[in-house]
Amino acid sequence: MSLNFDLYVEHDSWLHRLDPRTKLIFAVLSLVVLTSLVNIWIILAFLAATQAALISARLPRDRLLWGWRVLAPILILVPLLWPLFYQEGSALVSLWVLRITDLSLVRGVAVALRIAAMAFACFIPLLTTTQTQLVQGLMRLGVPFRAGLLVAMALRYVGVFYGSFGVIMDAQAARGLDLSQGNLFQRLRAYLPVLVAMLITCLRTADRVAMALEARGYGSARRRTVYHQLRLGPADWLALGLSLSALASLAFVRFAYGFGTHPWQL
Amino acid sequence: MSPSDHLAAELEDVWFSYEGHEPALRGISLGLPAGACTALIGHNGSGKTTLAKHLNGLLRPSRGRVLLEGQDIGRVPVGRLSRTVGYVFQNPDHQLFASTVWEEVAFGLRNQGLASTEIGQRVGEALAAFALESLAGAAPAVLGYSLRKRVALASVCAMRPRLLVLDEPSVGLDWRSTRQLMGLVEGLRQQGTTVVLITHDVRLATRYAQHMAVLEEGRLLQAGPIREVLRRFDALRAVFPSPPPLPALAAALAPDGALGVPLSAEEFYAAYVQLEGREA
Repeated sequence: MSLNFDLYVEHDSWLHRLDPRTKLIFAVLSLVVLTSLVNIWIILAFLAATQAALISARLPRDRLLWGWRVLAPILILVPLLWPLFYQEGSALVSLWVLRITDLSLVRGVAVALRIAAMAFACFIPLLTTTQTQLVQGLMRLGVPFRAGLLVAMALRYVGVFYGSFGVIMDAQAARGLDLSQGNLFQRLRAYLPVLVAMLITCLRTADRVAMALEARGYGSARRRTVYHQLRLGPADWLALGLSLSALASLAFVRFAYGFGTHPWQL
Repeated sequence: MSPSDHLAAELEDVWFSYEGHEPALRGISLGLPAGACTALIGHNGSGKTTLAKHLNGLLRPSRGRVLLEGQDIGRVPVGRLSRTVGYVFQNPDHQLFASTVWEEVAFGLRNQGLASTEIGQRVGEALAAFALESLAGAAPAVLGYSLRKRVALASVCAMRPRLLVLDEPSVGLDWRSTRQLMGLVEGLRQQGTTVVLITHDVRLATRYAQHMAVLEEGRLLQAGPIREVLRRFDALRAVFPSPPPLPALAAALAPDGALGVPLSAEEFYAAYVQLEGREA
Protein backbone atom coordinates (compact mmCIF):
# COMPACT_ATOMS: atom_id res chain seq x y z
CA MET A 1 0.00 0.00 0.00
CA SER A 2 1.25 3.43 -0.72
CA LEU A 3 -0.06 6.73 0.44
CA ASN A 4 0.99 10.06 -0.93
CA PHE A 5 1.24 12.67 1.80
CA ASP A 6 2.74 15.22 -0.52
CA LEU A 7 0.07 17.83 -1.22
CA TYR A 8 1.97 19.24 -4.20
CA VAL A 9 0.07 19.31 -7.49
CA GLU A 10 2.36 19.47 -10.50
CA HIS A 11 1.44 22.33 -12.81
CA ASP A 12 2.91 25.44 -14.38
CA SER A 13 1.20 28.55 -13.02
CA TRP A 14 2.12 31.93 -11.56
CA LEU A 15 1.73 30.48 -8.03
CA HIS A 16 3.92 27.49 -8.87
CA ARG A 17 6.60 29.75 -10.35
CA LEU A 18 6.81 32.01 -7.30
CA ASP A 19 9.85 31.55 -5.09
CA PRO A 20 9.04 29.24 -2.12
CA ARG A 21 10.20 32.01 0.25
CA THR A 22 7.52 34.36 -1.08
CA LYS A 23 4.82 31.79 -0.42
CA LEU A 24 6.21 30.83 3.00
CA ILE A 25 6.43 34.49 4.11
CA PHE A 26 2.85 35.06 2.92
CA ALA A 27 1.64 32.00 4.86
CA VAL A 28 3.39 32.95 8.11
CA LEU A 29 2.27 36.60 7.98
CA SER A 30 -1.29 35.54 7.15
CA LEU A 31 -1.32 33.30 10.22
CA VAL A 32 -0.14 36.16 12.43
CA VAL A 33 -2.65 38.69 11.07
CA LEU A 34 -5.57 36.23 11.03
CA THR A 35 -4.93 35.36 14.69
CA SER A 36 -5.74 38.94 15.64
CA LEU A 37 -8.98 39.21 13.61
CA VAL A 38 -12.47 37.88 14.37
CA ASN A 39 -14.55 39.84 11.87
CA ILE A 40 -16.45 37.41 9.68
CA TRP A 41 -16.44 39.70 6.59
CA ILE A 42 -12.65 40.16 6.62
CA ILE A 43 -12.15 36.43 7.11
CA LEU A 44 -14.57 35.64 4.27
CA ALA A 45 -12.77 38.13 2.03
CA PHE A 46 -9.41 36.51 2.86
CA LEU A 47 -10.85 33.04 2.15
CA ALA A 48 -12.27 34.25 -1.16
CA ALA A 49 -8.86 35.67 -2.09
CA THR A 50 -7.09 32.36 -1.33
CA GLN A 51 -9.68 30.40 -3.35
CA ALA A 52 -9.34 32.83 -6.26
CA ALA A 53 -5.54 32.51 -6.13
CA LEU A 54 -5.69 28.70 -6.11
CA ILE A 55 -8.30 28.59 -8.90
CA SER A 56 -6.25 31.01 -11.00
CA ALA A 57 -3.29 28.63 -10.54
CA ARG A 58 -5.51 25.98 -12.20
CA LEU A 59 -5.43 23.62 -9.24
CA PRO A 60 -7.85 20.73 -9.80
CA ARG A 61 -11.22 21.32 -8.21
CA ASP A 62 -11.11 17.99 -6.35
CA ARG A 63 -7.93 19.14 -4.55
CA LEU A 64 -9.72 22.26 -3.31
CA LEU A 65 -12.75 20.20 -2.33
CA TRP A 66 -10.38 17.83 -0.51
CA GLY A 67 -9.21 20.81 1.58
CA TRP A 68 -12.79 21.70 2.49
CA ARG A 69 -13.60 18.06 3.28
CA VAL A 70 -10.63 17.86 5.66
CA LEU A 71 -11.83 21.07 7.35
CA ALA A 72 -15.51 20.03 7.45
CA PRO A 73 -15.46 18.55 11.01
CA ILE A 74 -13.96 21.80 12.35
CA LEU A 75 -16.39 23.93 10.38
CA ILE A 76 -19.28 21.99 11.91
CA LEU A 77 -18.04 21.37 15.47
CA VAL A 78 -16.65 24.80 16.34
CA PRO A 79 -19.89 26.77 15.69
CA LEU A 80 -21.85 24.06 17.53
CA LEU A 81 -19.61 24.06 20.61
CA TRP A 82 -18.82 27.77 20.74
CA PRO A 83 -22.09 28.81 22.52
CA LEU A 84 -21.21 26.45 25.39
CA PHE A 85 -18.15 28.52 26.29
CA TYR A 86 -19.07 32.03 25.10
CA GLN A 87 -22.38 33.54 26.14
CA GLU A 88 -22.06 37.32 25.68
CA GLY A 89 -24.55 39.26 23.56
CA SER A 90 -28.33 39.14 23.39
CA ALA A 91 -29.89 35.71 23.78
CA LEU A 92 -31.57 34.11 20.81
CA VAL A 93 -32.36 30.82 22.58
CA SER A 94 -32.21 30.16 26.33
CA LEU A 95 -32.52 26.58 27.56
CA TRP A 96 -31.43 25.74 31.14
CA VAL A 97 -27.63 26.38 31.19
CA LEU A 98 -27.45 26.68 27.42
CA ARG A 99 -27.72 30.27 26.16
CA ILE A 100 -27.22 30.81 22.47
CA THR A 101 -26.55 34.48 21.71
CA ASP A 102 -26.20 36.39 18.46
CA LEU A 103 -22.55 37.13 19.29
CA SER A 104 -21.68 33.52 20.16
CA LEU A 105 -23.31 32.22 17.00
CA VAL A 106 -21.52 34.60 14.63
CA ARG A 107 -18.27 34.35 16.57
CA GLY A 108 -18.38 30.54 16.40
CA VAL A 109 -18.84 30.66 12.63
CA ALA A 110 -16.11 33.34 12.33
CA VAL A 111 -13.63 31.29 14.38
CA ALA A 112 -14.34 28.17 12.31
CA LEU A 113 -13.87 30.15 9.08
CA ARG A 114 -10.68 31.69 10.50
CA ILE A 115 -9.26 28.17 10.98
CA ALA A 116 -10.20 27.41 7.36
CA ALA A 117 -8.55 30.66 6.23
CA MET A 118 -5.37 29.79 8.13
CA ALA A 119 -5.38 26.29 6.62
CA PHE A 120 -5.74 27.67 3.10
CA ALA A 121 -2.97 30.22 3.74
CA CYS A 122 -0.76 27.17 4.44
CA PHE A 123 -2.22 25.12 1.56
CA ILE A 124 -1.01 27.76 -0.94
CA PRO A 125 2.71 26.92 -0.47
CA LEU A 126 2.00 23.22 0.17
CA LEU A 127 -0.12 22.72 -2.96
CA THR A 128 2.15 24.66 -5.29
CA THR A 129 5.69 23.91 -4.06
CA THR A 130 7.67 20.66 -4.20
CA GLN A 131 9.05 19.31 -0.92
CA THR A 132 12.61 19.96 -2.07
CA GLN A 133 11.80 23.60 -2.85
CA LEU A 134 9.96 24.03 0.45
CA VAL A 135 12.96 22.78 2.42
CA GLN A 136 15.33 24.90 0.34
CA GLY A 137 13.10 27.92 0.92
CA LEU A 138 13.05 27.27 4.67
CA MET A 139 16.83 27.04 4.72
CA ARG A 140 17.24 30.27 2.75
CA LEU A 141 15.01 31.91 5.35
CA GLY A 142 17.54 30.94 8.00
CA VAL A 143 16.26 27.53 9.14
CA PRO A 144 19.36 25.33 9.77
CA PHE A 145 19.96 22.53 7.23
CA ARG A 146 19.50 19.85 9.88
CA ALA A 147 16.04 21.17 10.73
CA GLY A 148 15.18 21.49 7.03
CA LEU A 149 16.27 17.92 6.37
CA LEU A 150 14.26 16.81 9.40
CA VAL A 151 11.12 18.39 7.93
CA ALA A 152 11.76 16.82 4.52
CA MET A 153 12.35 13.37 6.02
CA ALA A 154 9.35 13.62 8.31
CA LEU A 155 7.16 14.35 5.28
CA ARG A 156 8.84 11.59 3.30
CA TYR A 157 8.40 8.93 5.99
CA VAL A 158 4.78 9.64 6.94
CA GLY A 159 3.70 7.59 3.91
CA VAL A 160 6.23 4.82 4.60
CA PHE A 161 5.16 4.45 8.22
CA TYR A 162 1.50 4.54 7.28
CA GLY A 163 2.22 1.60 4.95
CA SER A 164 4.04 -0.27 7.74
CA PHE A 165 1.13 0.39 10.09
CA GLY A 166 -1.24 -1.29 7.62
CA VAL A 167 1.02 -4.34 7.25
CA ILE A 168 1.44 -4.66 11.05
CA MET A 169 -2.33 -4.46 11.55
CA ASP A 170 -2.67 -7.29 8.99
CA ALA A 171 0.10 -9.34 10.63
CA GLN A 172 -1.52 -9.15 14.08
CA ALA A 173 -5.01 -9.74 12.66
CA ALA A 174 -3.64 -12.87 10.95
CA ARG A 175 -2.73 -14.15 14.44
CA GLY A 176 -6.27 -13.59 15.62
CA LEU A 177 -6.01 -10.10 17.13
CA ASP A 178 -9.48 -8.56 17.13
CA LEU A 179 -9.53 -4.77 17.33
CA SER A 180 -13.29 -4.40 17.00
CA GLN A 181 -14.42 -6.01 20.26
CA GLY A 182 -14.85 -4.60 23.77
CA ASN A 183 -15.15 -1.13 25.27
CA LEU A 184 -12.90 1.83 24.45
CA PHE A 185 -10.26 0.88 27.04
CA GLN A 186 -10.17 -2.75 25.89
CA ARG A 187 -9.82 -1.65 22.28
CA LEU A 188 -6.98 0.72 23.11
CA ARG A 189 -5.26 -2.08 24.99
CA ALA A 190 -5.76 -4.40 22.01
CA TYR A 191 -3.74 -1.94 19.91
CA LEU A 192 -0.66 -2.58 22.06
CA PRO A 193 0.77 -5.36 19.81
CA VAL A 194 0.36 -3.06 16.81
CA LEU A 195 1.89 -0.02 18.50
CA VAL A 196 4.89 -1.86 19.98
CA ALA A 197 5.66 -3.56 16.64
CA MET A 198 5.27 -0.15 14.97
CA LEU A 199 7.68 1.45 17.45
CA ILE A 200 10.27 -1.29 16.88
CA THR A 201 9.91 -0.92 13.10
CA CYS A 202 10.26 2.89 13.34
CA LEU A 203 13.36 2.64 15.54
CA ARG A 204 14.99 0.12 13.23
CA THR A 205 14.17 2.27 10.18
CA ALA A 206 15.51 5.40 11.91
CA ASP A 207 18.71 3.57 12.79
CA ARG A 208 19.17 2.32 9.22
CA VAL A 209 18.38 5.71 7.66
CA ALA A 210 20.84 7.44 10.03
CA MET A 211 23.58 5.01 9.04
CA ALA A 212 22.74 5.36 5.34
CA LEU A 213 22.93 9.17 5.65
CA GLU A 214 26.28 8.97 7.41
CA ALA A 215 27.60 6.46 4.90
CA ARG A 216 26.85 8.99 2.16
CA GLY A 217 28.82 11.72 3.90
CA TYR A 218 26.04 13.50 5.80
CA GLY A 219 27.55 16.12 8.13
CA SER A 220 31.05 15.96 6.65
CA ALA A 221 30.88 19.25 4.71
CA ARG A 222 30.86 22.44 6.73
CA ARG A 223 29.26 24.48 3.95
CA ARG A 224 26.56 22.90 1.83
CA THR A 225 26.08 23.80 -1.80
CA VAL A 226 22.81 23.57 -3.72
CA TYR A 227 22.26 22.75 -7.37
CA HIS A 228 19.20 24.92 -8.03
CA GLN A 229 19.77 28.43 -6.66
CA LEU A 230 16.63 30.24 -5.54
CA ARG A 231 16.25 33.77 -6.88
CA LEU A 232 13.52 36.30 -6.17
CA GLY A 233 12.23 37.53 -9.54
CA PRO A 234 10.06 40.58 -10.37
CA ALA A 235 6.88 38.51 -9.88
CA ASP A 236 8.08 37.57 -6.39
CA TRP A 237 8.75 41.18 -5.45
CA LEU A 238 5.34 42.18 -6.80
CA ALA A 239 3.53 39.37 -4.94
CA LEU A 240 5.50 40.07 -1.76
CA GLY A 241 4.87 43.82 -2.05
CA LEU A 242 1.13 43.42 -2.60
CA SER A 243 0.52 40.79 0.06
CA LEU A 244 2.82 42.45 2.59
CA SER A 245 1.23 45.88 2.17
CA ALA A 246 -2.29 44.40 2.38
CA LEU A 247 -1.50 42.34 5.48
CA ALA A 248 0.51 45.17 7.11
CA SER A 249 -2.30 47.71 6.54
CA LEU A 250 -4.79 45.25 7.97
CA ALA A 251 -2.56 44.76 11.03
CA PHE A 252 -2.14 48.55 11.40
CA VAL A 253 -5.86 49.37 11.32
CA ARG A 254 -6.51 46.42 13.61
CA PHE A 255 -4.11 47.54 16.32
CA ALA A 256 -4.45 51.33 15.85
CA TYR A 257 -8.24 51.54 15.48
CA GLY A 258 -9.54 48.13 16.61
CA PHE A 259 -10.78 47.42 13.06
CA GLY A 260 -12.01 43.84 12.62
CA THR A 261 -12.46 43.02 16.31
CA HIS A 262 -16.27 42.96 16.16
CA PRO A 263 -17.74 39.71 14.81
CA TRP A 264 -19.76 41.39 12.07
CA GLN A 265 -19.54 45.20 12.27
CA LEU A 266 -16.79 46.83 10.24
CA MET B 1 -16.27 -37.30 -3.70
CA SER B 2 -15.81 -33.87 -5.28
CA PRO B 3 -12.38 -32.60 -6.32
CA SER B 4 -12.59 -29.99 -3.51
CA ASP B 5 -12.17 -32.81 -0.96
CA HIS B 6 -8.50 -33.06 -1.91
CA LEU B 7 -7.96 -29.34 -1.85
CA ALA B 8 -7.12 -27.39 1.28
CA ALA B 9 -8.21 -24.20 -0.46
CA GLU B 10 -9.56 -23.17 -3.80
CA LEU B 11 -9.86 -19.85 -5.59
CA GLU B 12 -12.62 -19.56 -8.16
CA ASP B 13 -12.28 -16.80 -10.75
CA VAL B 14 -10.88 -14.36 -8.16
CA TRP B 15 -10.54 -10.72 -9.20
CA PHE B 16 -9.17 -8.05 -6.93
CA SER B 17 -8.27 -4.35 -7.30
CA TYR B 18 -6.69 -2.05 -4.76
CA GLU B 19 -8.70 1.18 -4.57
CA GLY B 20 -8.06 3.39 -7.56
CA HIS B 21 -5.70 0.92 -9.23
CA GLU B 22 -5.72 -1.58 -12.08
CA PRO B 23 -6.79 -5.11 -11.08
CA ALA B 24 -4.04 -6.84 -9.08
CA LEU B 25 -5.66 -10.26 -9.64
CA ARG B 26 -7.41 -11.06 -12.90
CA GLY B 27 -9.63 -14.11 -12.77
CA ILE B 28 -7.43 -16.49 -10.78
CA SER B 29 -8.72 -20.06 -10.48
CA LEU B 30 -6.39 -22.24 -8.46
CA GLY B 31 -6.60 -25.24 -6.16
CA LEU B 32 -4.14 -25.87 -3.33
CA PRO B 33 -3.74 -29.65 -2.84
CA ALA B 34 -4.08 -30.66 0.81
CA GLY B 35 -0.89 -31.75 2.55
CA ALA B 36 1.35 -30.44 -0.25
CA CYS B 37 3.55 -27.40 -0.60
CA THR B 38 2.48 -25.10 -3.43
CA ALA B 39 4.95 -22.44 -4.53
CA LEU B 40 3.51 -19.15 -5.78
CA ILE B 41 6.13 -17.86 -8.18
CA GLY B 42 6.32 -14.55 -9.96
CA HIS B 43 8.07 -11.20 -10.21
CA ASN B 44 7.61 -8.40 -7.70
CA GLY B 45 4.10 -7.01 -8.14
CA SER B 46 2.81 -10.09 -9.96
CA GLY B 47 0.08 -10.61 -7.33
CA LYS B 48 1.56 -13.41 -5.19
CA THR B 49 1.02 -11.74 -1.81
CA THR B 50 -2.33 -10.27 -2.87
CA LEU B 51 -3.48 -13.78 -3.80
CA ALA B 52 -2.24 -15.28 -0.52
CA LYS B 53 -3.97 -12.59 1.55
CA HIS B 54 -7.28 -13.85 0.16
CA LEU B 55 -6.71 -17.18 1.88
CA ASN B 56 -7.10 -15.77 5.41
CA GLY B 57 -9.51 -12.95 4.59
CA LEU B 58 -7.05 -10.06 4.87
CA LEU B 59 -8.29 -9.21 1.38
CA ARG B 60 -11.69 -10.10 -0.07
CA PRO B 61 -12.23 -10.74 -3.78
CA SER B 62 -14.00 -8.04 -5.78
CA ARG B 63 -15.37 -10.93 -7.85
CA GLY B 64 -15.19 -14.71 -7.50
CA ARG B 65 -14.90 -16.70 -4.30
CA VAL B 66 -12.45 -18.43 -1.99
CA LEU B 67 -13.15 -21.88 -0.56
CA LEU B 68 -11.37 -23.17 2.50
CA GLU B 69 -11.70 -26.93 3.02
CA GLY B 70 -14.66 -26.83 0.65
CA GLN B 71 -16.48 -23.97 2.45
CA ASP B 72 -16.90 -20.50 0.95
CA ILE B 73 -15.16 -18.15 3.41
CA GLY B 74 -17.42 -15.27 2.33
CA ARG B 75 -17.14 -12.62 5.05
CA VAL B 76 -15.82 -14.91 7.83
CA PRO B 77 -13.65 -12.62 10.02
CA VAL B 78 -9.87 -12.85 9.80
CA GLY B 79 -9.73 -13.74 13.52
CA ARG B 80 -11.82 -16.87 12.96
CA LEU B 81 -9.90 -17.84 9.83
CA SER B 82 -6.61 -17.49 11.74
CA ARG B 83 -7.49 -20.78 13.50
CA THR B 84 -7.20 -22.57 10.16
CA VAL B 85 -4.82 -20.39 8.13
CA GLY B 86 -1.46 -19.26 9.51
CA TYR B 87 0.29 -16.41 7.72
CA VAL B 88 3.97 -15.65 8.28
CA PHE B 89 4.77 -12.17 6.97
CA GLN B 90 7.92 -11.39 5.03
CA ASN B 91 9.33 -9.00 7.62
CA PRO B 92 9.31 -10.50 11.13
CA ASP B 93 9.42 -6.99 12.63
CA HIS B 94 5.88 -6.44 11.41
CA GLN B 95 4.77 -9.17 13.76
CA LEU B 96 7.05 -9.28 16.82
CA PHE B 97 6.11 -7.06 19.75
CA ALA B 98 6.18 -9.08 23.01
CA SER B 99 8.83 -8.70 25.71
CA THR B 100 9.85 -12.37 25.56
CA VAL B 101 9.91 -15.10 22.94
CA TRP B 102 7.58 -17.16 25.17
CA GLU B 103 5.00 -14.36 25.26
CA GLU B 104 5.32 -13.82 21.52
CA VAL B 105 4.54 -17.48 20.79
CA ALA B 106 1.65 -17.40 23.28
CA PHE B 107 0.05 -14.31 21.66
CA GLY B 108 -1.95 -16.10 18.96
CA LEU B 109 -3.00 -18.82 21.39
CA ARG B 110 -4.38 -16.21 23.82
CA ASN B 111 -6.30 -14.69 20.91
CA GLN B 112 -7.78 -18.15 20.31
CA GLY B 113 -9.02 -18.09 23.91
CA LEU B 114 -7.24 -21.28 24.98
CA ALA B 115 -6.85 -22.27 28.66
CA SER B 116 -3.53 -21.29 30.27
CA THR B 117 -2.44 -24.93 30.72
CA GLU B 118 -3.05 -25.60 27.03
CA ILE B 119 -1.19 -22.40 26.09
CA GLY B 120 1.78 -23.42 28.27
CA GLN B 121 1.89 -26.85 26.69
CA ARG B 122 1.61 -25.59 23.10
CA VAL B 123 4.21 -22.85 23.60
CA GLY B 124 6.59 -25.44 25.09
CA GLU B 125 6.05 -27.74 22.10
CA ALA B 126 6.54 -24.93 19.58
CA LEU B 127 9.72 -23.69 21.27
CA ALA B 128 11.09 -27.25 21.29
CA ALA B 129 10.13 -27.88 17.65
CA PHE B 130 11.82 -24.67 16.51
CA ALA B 131 14.86 -25.04 18.81
CA LEU B 132 14.02 -21.84 20.68
CA GLU B 133 13.83 -23.24 24.24
CA SER B 134 17.02 -21.53 25.38
CA LEU B 135 15.67 -18.19 24.13
CA ALA B 136 12.24 -18.42 25.80
CA GLY B 137 13.01 -15.46 28.09
CA ALA B 138 14.87 -13.36 25.50
CA ALA B 139 13.36 -10.24 23.90
CA PRO B 140 12.48 -11.07 20.25
CA ALA B 141 13.32 -7.53 19.09
CA VAL B 142 17.01 -7.90 19.97
CA LEU B 143 17.54 -11.31 18.33
CA GLY B 144 19.36 -11.68 15.01
CA TYR B 145 17.32 -11.58 11.79
CA SER B 146 17.21 -15.34 11.15
CA LEU B 147 16.19 -16.00 14.75
CA ARG B 148 13.49 -13.33 14.55
CA LYS B 149 12.18 -15.09 11.43
CA ARG B 150 12.16 -18.38 13.32
CA VAL B 151 10.27 -16.83 16.27
CA ALA B 152 7.70 -15.36 13.86
CA LEU B 153 7.23 -18.80 12.27
CA ALA B 154 7.02 -20.54 15.67
CA SER B 155 4.40 -18.07 16.89
CA VAL B 156 2.20 -18.84 13.88
CA CYS B 157 2.81 -22.60 13.95
CA ALA B 158 1.91 -22.80 17.66
CA MET B 159 -1.64 -21.96 16.54
CA ARG B 160 -1.58 -25.28 14.60
CA PRO B 161 -2.92 -23.95 11.31
CA ARG B 162 -3.96 -26.54 8.74
CA LEU B 163 -2.83 -24.17 5.98
CA LEU B 164 0.41 -22.24 6.41
CA VAL B 165 1.33 -19.29 4.17
CA LEU B 166 4.99 -18.23 4.09
CA ASP B 167 5.65 -14.88 2.42
CA GLU B 168 9.19 -14.81 0.98
CA PRO B 169 10.74 -16.87 3.81
CA SER B 170 14.22 -16.78 2.26
CA VAL B 171 14.51 -12.98 1.96
CA GLY B 172 17.43 -11.73 4.07
CA LEU B 173 18.56 -15.25 4.98
CA ASP B 174 21.62 -17.12 3.75
CA TRP B 175 21.10 -20.56 2.21
CA ARG B 176 22.02 -22.34 5.47
CA SER B 177 19.45 -20.40 7.52
CA THR B 178 16.88 -20.82 4.75
CA ARG B 179 17.42 -24.59 4.76
CA GLN B 180 17.06 -24.69 8.54
CA LEU B 181 13.82 -22.73 8.40
CA MET B 182 12.40 -24.67 5.46
CA GLY B 183 13.43 -27.94 7.11
CA LEU B 184 11.08 -27.06 9.97
CA VAL B 185 8.32 -26.21 7.50
CA GLU B 186 8.89 -29.48 5.64
CA GLY B 187 8.46 -31.32 8.96
CA LEU B 188 5.07 -29.65 9.45
CA ARG B 189 4.05 -30.53 5.89
CA GLN B 190 4.91 -34.17 6.45
CA GLN B 191 2.60 -34.09 9.45
CA GLY B 192 -0.23 -32.94 7.15
CA THR B 193 -0.02 -29.14 7.04
CA THR B 194 -0.70 -27.61 3.64
CA VAL B 195 1.96 -25.03 2.79
CA VAL B 196 1.83 -22.04 0.45
CA LEU B 197 5.30 -20.76 -0.33
CA ILE B 198 5.44 -17.26 -1.82
CA THR B 199 8.80 -16.77 -3.46
CA HIS B 200 10.61 -15.55 -6.54
CA ASP B 201 13.40 -18.06 -5.89
CA VAL B 202 12.88 -20.99 -8.29
CA ARG B 203 15.64 -22.94 -6.56
CA LEU B 204 13.79 -22.76 -3.25
CA ALA B 205 10.53 -23.75 -4.93
CA THR B 206 12.01 -26.77 -6.71
CA ARG B 207 13.57 -27.99 -3.49
CA TYR B 208 10.54 -27.74 -1.21
CA ALA B 209 7.37 -27.51 -3.29
CA GLN B 210 5.42 -30.27 -5.02
CA HIS B 211 3.13 -27.90 -6.89
CA MET B 212 3.73 -24.59 -8.52
CA ALA B 213 1.57 -21.66 -9.63
CA VAL B 214 3.21 -19.03 -11.81
CA LEU B 215 1.75 -15.52 -11.75
CA GLU B 216 2.42 -12.61 -14.05
CA GLU B 217 0.66 -9.24 -13.78
CA GLY B 218 -2.19 -10.70 -11.77
CA ARG B 219 -2.80 -13.60 -14.17
CA LEU B 220 -2.13 -17.27 -13.61
CA LEU B 221 0.30 -18.39 -16.33
CA GLN B 222 0.73 -22.00 -15.28
CA ALA B 223 -0.28 -24.19 -12.35
CA GLY B 224 0.13 -27.84 -11.51
CA PRO B 225 2.61 -30.41 -10.25
CA ILE B 226 6.03 -28.76 -10.26
CA ARG B 227 7.59 -31.07 -12.87
CA GLU B 228 4.74 -30.46 -15.28
CA VAL B 229 5.08 -26.70 -14.89
CA LEU B 230 8.86 -26.77 -15.31
CA ARG B 231 8.64 -29.05 -18.34
CA ARG B 232 6.95 -26.13 -20.12
CA PHE B 233 9.55 -23.58 -19.04
CA ASP B 234 9.79 -22.25 -22.56
CA ALA B 235 6.28 -20.86 -22.10
CA LEU B 236 7.43 -19.12 -18.93
CA ARG B 237 10.29 -17.12 -20.45
CA ALA B 238 8.62 -13.86 -19.32
CA VAL B 239 8.90 -14.99 -15.70
CA PHE B 240 12.14 -16.99 -15.84
CA PRO B 241 14.44 -15.30 -18.39
CA SER B 242 17.06 -17.92 -17.56
CA PRO B 243 15.29 -21.26 -17.07
CA PRO B 244 16.00 -23.44 -14.02
CA PRO B 245 19.42 -25.01 -14.89
CA LEU B 246 18.79 -28.74 -14.30
CA PRO B 247 15.50 -29.06 -16.21
CA ALA B 248 17.04 -26.91 -18.97
CA LEU B 249 20.16 -29.09 -19.14
CA ALA B 250 18.07 -32.26 -19.18
CA ALA B 251 15.94 -30.85 -22.03
CA ALA B 252 19.07 -29.84 -23.97
CA LEU B 253 20.70 -33.28 -23.59
CA ALA B 254 17.56 -35.26 -24.29
CA PRO B 255 15.04 -33.21 -26.30
CA ASP B 256 12.74 -36.25 -26.35
CA GLY B 257 12.30 -35.85 -22.59
CA ALA B 258 14.13 -39.08 -21.76
CA LEU B 259 15.85 -37.43 -18.79
CA GLY B 260 12.55 -36.18 -17.34
CA VAL B 261 12.49 -32.99 -15.26
CA PRO B 262 15.19 -33.43 -12.61
CA LEU B 263 14.84 -31.04 -9.65
CA SER B 264 18.15 -31.84 -7.94
CA ALA B 265 21.67 -32.83 -8.99
CA GLU B 266 21.06 -36.30 -7.51
CA GLU B 267 17.92 -36.77 -9.61
CA PHE B 268 19.72 -35.57 -12.71
CA TYR B 269 22.63 -37.93 -12.09
CA ALA B 270 20.36 -40.92 -11.52
CA ALA B 271 18.35 -40.19 -14.68
CA TYR B 272 21.52 -39.66 -16.70
CA VAL B 273 23.15 -42.89 -15.52
CA GLN B 274 19.94 -44.79 -16.28
CA LEU B 275 19.76 -43.30 -19.76
CA GLU B 276 23.44 -44.08 -20.44
CA GLY B 277 22.91 -47.66 -19.29
CA ARG B 278 19.92 -48.04 -21.61
CA GLU B 279 21.83 -46.64 -24.57
CA ALA B 280 24.89 -48.81 -23.84
